[in-house]
Amino acid sequence: MTAAHARDTRVEERKAADQAATGTAVYVYGVVPSDVVIDPEAKGIGDPQTPVGLVAHGGVAALVGDVPLGTRLGTPEDLLAHANVLDGAAAEVPVLPLRFGAVMTDRAAVVDELLAPHEQRFADALEALDGRIQLVAKGRYVQEAVLSELIDELPEARRLRDRIARVPEEASRDDRVALGELIAEGVEARRLADTRKFAQLLDGLGIAFVVREPTHEFDAIHIACLLKRADEGRLLHECARFARDQENRIDVQLLGPMAAYDFVGAEAPEG
Amino acid sequence: MTMQSSSSGLLDRPRSSGLADVLDTVLDKGMVIDAYVRVSLVGIELVTIDARIVVASVDTYLRFAEAVNRLDLTQQEKDLTDVVGSLEEGGAKSKTKGALDGAKEKVGQLLSGDQEDEDEGKADEDEDEDYEDEEAEEERLPARKSSKRERGRR
Repeated sequence: MTAAHARDTRVEERKAADQAATGTAVYVYGVVPSDVVIDPEAKGIGDPQTPVGLVAHGGVAALVGDVPLGTRLGTPEDLLAHANVLDGAAAEVPVLPLRFGAVMTDRAAVVDELLAPHEQRFADALEALDGRIQLVAKGRYVQEAVLSELIDELPEARRLRDRIARVPEEASRDDRVALGELIAEGVEARRLADTRKFAQLLDGLGIAFVVREPTHEFDAIHIACLLKRADEGRLLHECARFARDQENRIDVQLLGPMAAYDFVGAEAPEG
Repeated sequence: MTMQSSSSGLLDRPRSSGLADVLDTVLDKGMVIDAYVRVSLVGIELVTIDARIVVASVDTYLRFAEAVNRLDLTQQEKDLTDVVGSLEEGGAKSKTKGALDGAKEKVGQLLSGDQEDEDEGKADEDEDEDYEDEEAEEERLPARKSSKRERGRR
């Protein structure tokens, strides 16, 4: 490499760096029908929060925002903004939410690489979601209640507990691990049973659902439901009944309506 | 439809999700753009964590055992309280009222508390913070006698 070449390369690198410092990329929230109107007040990711725009192609469009290159994305505010943009849209129109963190080079890339190649697939999925909302039912065991149940139910747990109480702490480690493991298995078994109970309730209502992985060790139920807007009242009623039946044992929450994150599939379908 | 109009005060219907719930959703669910396009862009760094998962470990077991141990202590206190309570006229009644207040407080906690904790922490730290938060909350609200959670304990 000659000296002149090296200098050219350095100049180009510096140019690229300058561009990176001043340029922007396009953050993609999700996909909606192209005939939607964006609320001009909608605020997206970034600090300060960025406006939300639309990039349309045929019958589908992407909800987008501009982010400066060099940005570090992922603050709690960013995550909440991502959810708020999508949930706000989902309150009005069908939405295919993207997982947090989708960034493309520019608006042309959004059309050429995302929307155009998958237009029909997105349009079909949006039609299937039309008029439907996602709610997430979450139940957390009241710790003392479920522990008491398990101690009452498991003689071995009682035996371990009593033995642990009799010896110095450093001598009881194995027993404590064994007791904890019994409890963990017991909680897991209850989670499965209570999840099944709630799933039957949803089956009875004819509501589609996906069981989520627990994200807390005392999670009792964690289930995403997809339902017609008109069915929200019925689900609410049944959840309230479930909460009443499980009073003092499971604290039940119903989150949403939100975009149908659990029903759009993580991967692109085959073909 | 808001939770205020729901028929039961026992079902918690927060009007907006706290950060912990948003994490579960936006980092773990939804379409993954890489499945559709080859994203070749450089210049944006993602600083989020992977979605949290619950993995039982020896530490978990030891904590559970400790919780059982604490439960016994609570039980003994409860027995004492019951003796005292039965001497006080109307003691039981005052414990059962106020479920609605409890639910309201839970919503407030979701709107404020949850958003402040566990910002970009690791999975196990999040769990620990959960516990600390619950304890801290009880300390902040010493007068709260009769929320769902507390009634379950007594």
